[in-house]
Parts: sequence; structure tokens; C-alpha cells
Amino acid sequence: MAFTSDYLCSSFKVELLKGLHNFTLSTGNVFKMALYDNNASFVAATTDYTSTDEVANGNGYTTGGNALTNVTPTNDTTTAYTDFEDEVWGTATFTAYGSLTYNSTAGTNAVIINDFGGAKTATAGDFTVQFPAFDASNAIIRIA
Amino acid sequence: MKILTTKNGGLSVEHWADRCVDKIIHVANDSDSIIRDQAVAFKQDVRTVLIHYMTNAIKSDRTTLYNLFLKQGEPQMAEILRRL
Repeated sequence: MAFTSDYLCSSFKVELLKGLHNFTLSTGNVFKMALYDNNASFVAATTDYTSTDEVANGNGYTTGGNALTNVTPTNDTTTAYTDFEDEVWGTATFTAYGSLTYNSTAGTNAVIINDFGGAKTATAGDFTVQFPAFDASNAIIRIA
Repeated sequence: MKILTTKNGGLSVEHWADRCVDKIIHVANDSDSIIRDQAVAFKQDVRTVLIHYMTNAIKSDRTTLYNLFLKQGEPQMAEILRRL
């Protein structure tokens, strides 16, 4: 299998209604982004982080992924949205095809799957995830 | 989402200043032209200040690393870092 698309996990949508996730800067939950090779097979039904098919530990990557910096949610008319600050894996030598972002405060509950659209390789350099613009049309997580 | 990767080096201070200033200051395309021009000028000023202080932060970090290498008995590594 491989990454096929971006998904906002179905379990995450349910958990939002149960009040399980808090994206507030500083006082919110800790969300981590884990990176995966092309064997990972995530879909909307994915519910938890897994180390299976994750980028190997070492060479600038630590299994479990990096903790992200939250951006406090806001809204523009009827759309609520949140974001994360760009994340860098420094002195990195690895290839990743996609990511799973999960809430590491509330267990390992999956939030969002992102397909990088192919192999992305850093060689003794930076591996940087740049999140889309923080607005109602582009933010990484939006509820309309 | 965009993935940026580099080879044998990292991203520039200018790249991070651009990302930072885009996060801090958003100028709407449909805003009044006078306000928009002022905002764009302010954004450019903030970018310049960010570049200055981020460069200082890198220098400070290298100073810290230089001393760590010295303490670990690696004067040659420390000297390489100091010359950067």
C-alpha cells in the first residue's frame, strides 16, 4: 500500500464532539507528527498512531515523531480552523512519503493523515513541513 | 501542505523570516490601498528585524556549541564552528 490522499480521521471528528482534543497554544494538548515510508496504508478510518512503516529511528528522525506547536483555533464567519507552526527535522538524512498527526496527550489518537505526493528526501539537511495559510480556505484543519 | 527538503545544508534565515512574517502579519488583498501599503511596508520592516535577531540567535547558539565542543575536548571541532 501507499499514501493515497489526505484524510481528516473519522475517529477524530467523533472525538471532537466528545471534547477530547484541545488545540490551544501552550495550554492545549500535545500533537505529534510522525513520518512514514511508502508502505504505510492510512485511510480515514485510521484511529491511532503506529510505528509500523514509520521512518527508521536515527539520521535526524526519532520514532514517534516531533511535537508540533499549536495555533489557537479561531473562526472566519461560519468556518472554524486551526493550524500548526512549520516543523523541521534538522540534520536529516531520510525519505518520507506522508505523515500521521496524532494527539499524544490523549493516548495516540489519530487526527490527520497527509500524503506528501511522493518521496521527499533530505540529505544531511532540513526536512521541513510547511503548513498551509492560516485562514478559513486553506488551514490544515477546518470545520465549516 | 508543502514539504521542503535540503541537501548538505539547511534553509536560510531569509526563508524563516519570510515564513515568520507571513504568520505574524496578514495583509488582505481587498483591504484599503493606503492601509495595505502601510501594512506591506511594516511587514518588510518586521522581516528585516527578524533577520537581524535570528542571525544573532544563530551566532549565540554557535557560541554555546563552541564551548560545548571545547568542554568535550574537541578544540578542532570548536575552531571549525567558530570560523563559520
